[in-house]
Amino acid sequence: MSSAIRRPVLVPHARYRWDKLRQQHQLVFPEGILVLNEPGAAIVQRCDGRPLAELLVALGEQFPDANLGEDVQGFLERLARKGLLRDATDS
Amino acid sequence: MPPIPRPLALLAELTYRCPLKCPYCSNPLELARYRHELDTATWQRVLAEAAALGVIQVHFSGGEPLVRRDLAELVQHARQLDLYSNLSTGATLADPATLERLKEAGLDALQISLLDARPDGNDWLTGAASFDKKRVAVENAKHLGFPVTLNVVLHRHNLDRIEEIIDLACRWDVDRLELAHVQYTGWAFRNRAALLPTREQVERAAEAVVQARRRLSERPAILHVLPDYFQQYPKACLHGWGRVFLTVAPDGAVLPCQTAREIPGLVFPNVREASLESIWFDAPVFQRFRGTDWMPEPCRSCERREIDFGGCRCQAFLLTGDPAATDPVCHLSPLHPVVERALVEPPREAAALQFRVITHSS
Repeated sequence: MSSAIRRPVLVPHARYRWDKLRQQHQLVFPEGILVLNEPGAAIVQRCDGRPLAELLVALGEQFPDANLGEDVQGFLERLARKGLLRDATDS
Repeated sequence: MPPIPRPLALLAELTYRCPLKCPYCSNPLELARYRHELDTATWQRVLAEAAALGVIQVHFSGGEPLVRRDLAELVQHARQLDLYSNLSTGATLADPATLERLKEAGLDALQISLLDARPDGNDWLTGAASFDKKRVAVENAKHLGFPVTLNVVLHRHNLDRIEEIIDLACRWDVDRLELAHVQYTGWAFRNRAALLPTREQVERAAEAVVQARRRLSERPAILHVLPDYFQQYPKACLHGWGRVFLTVAPDGAVLPCQTAREIPGLVFPNVREASLESIWFDAPVFQRFRGTDWMPEPCRSCERREIDFGGCRCQAFLLTGDPAATDPVCHLSPLHPVVERALVEPPREAAALQFRVITHSS
């Protein structure tokens, strides 16, 4: 069922926040909290329905030394499996 | 002793008032004792103290939180503090204007209770004509762009209609369907003999959920919380006492768990008299079952002691008389037979259900 995600968008009940107290990037949803690393936070903040290619370009500018391509797709699929992300091309 | 972790979630029980009479309500039996509700300014202070303490999510609940006229104001305050806000409502008071105000205030997620897929079943259990109001509220909430969770509590009288409930959640196009079995404390404990399902019902329903998940792929997401009476191990109640959650009750009492008033002998501090921070870290009631030092055997040496934290303290008290006992749901508990006996007791007729009422004690 999981073809590649082309236009990732967070579901409406998932919200990114920076936790000042814990110095953490977080994705919050009704039952829980996912703690994100720097690249994870950068990705999630750009999951607004824009094409993945665009997202990767922006990410490449922010993390020029990292080769994130395949990792990004895997990360997006993990979020989709948790019900926190969908593909905007589907609807 | 490891350092005390900071809480992640606050249950803000704004009121015990409610137009519905659900016979498994989690509010205390003696509702009339707690009529003196916190005012808006105090709730705003509580939210600010919660955020400073490390709380990330606030669950506005009740009773019916929509009876509070300041709800949108409190939601907005939570948003300004960057708290993630959830509202749990029976939705009979959720008219379009109210929902719109909540949306503007920044409410993140909405949970609407439904008691049965059939209008007559739902209306009988709530003691009011509420099915159509709930249906319209879901429609209006979706129209406003709210993510909607439909919350259906499961028991003997609706469990056989689980497919109908799932179908209805699909037709209403909700984002998520939460199917949680009754927890037998408070009103539900009083009504246990009329609510407890049979093992066959539980197993058939679990299979129906598995089938539905396969069929539906992603929408709605179905969360199914199994009834602990039928499990081998107890539920990880609160993810540990005084570890992740705290509740502020309508009268300002701060509780480690919303039903903790069932346990006699505990003294609950009040936000009118102390800060949330000092209560969380120092109040004896939060220390009482924190960590693993309080545990008796078989919990103390159990490898699951930090997985299920000894189970539910309220349940341990209700079933054994000792709130520090191992939750007898656990098959390793020496008192486990009290749960097995409850499962083979002849069920009491639905007519014996006692609905939630506010009785005025002298």
